[in-house]
Amino acid sequence: MAQRTVLVTINQAPFGNIFYTEGLRAAVGITSGIDENIATVAYLGDGVYFTLHSVDRKDTERYMATLQKQGAKMLVERESLKERRIKERDVATEFQIIPRKELLKFVQAADFVIDF
Amino acid sequence: MANLYLINKTYGENGLKLARLDADAEVVLIQDGVYIDARDFVGSKTKIYVLRHDVEKRGLEDRVRQDVKLIDYGQFVDLIVQNKVINFA
Repeated sequence: MAQRTVLVTINQAPFGNIFYTEGLRAAVGITSGIDENIATVAYLGDGVYFTLHSVDRKDTERYMATLQKQGAKMLVERESLKERRIKERDVATEFQIIPRKELLKFVQAADFVIDF
Repeated sequence: MANLYLINKTYGENGLKLARLDADAEVVLIQDGVYIDARDFVGSKTKIYVLRHDVEKRGLEDRVRQDVKLIDYGQFVDLIVQNKVINFA
């Protein structure tokens, strides 16, 4: 198997579901193994609530740390923030805010797109 | 090869907003995604398919727009195999 590029989108807000954490767990899994696949995580829709700097991320901090160590990009869709009247300054610094047009380029470039 | 957006209700609108910007997008509505009027999101040139089984199960046959193509599972599999799947389902 060759190295693959995988985009993981996280679409649901924390908490009360497993998607915000399972998506990150999957992303960690994607980067593991001999192929060292390239994982990118993108938050859109209600998923962007996870990126607020005031959110309790204790249960996912090890996933986040592993992904950062692997150089995985953590993206947030600007339009989703705007639609929810979330100020960009309220997003934690480990996340990169990009416009939808830019996110589409990641979608098009990825070998696989997986949603959570 | 198109970018085939698989859309259900839960967060399908997130995918449709991306599909609107994607010149190579085709859309398949599945499960409760058949309740979404995808044409509200994407332009008239974008092909939209809807899974016949999911439409019939919900009694929505009369509500399917003329510019949306009903497909069966076999055709759905063909689309998945022939295109790049962007999953929002």
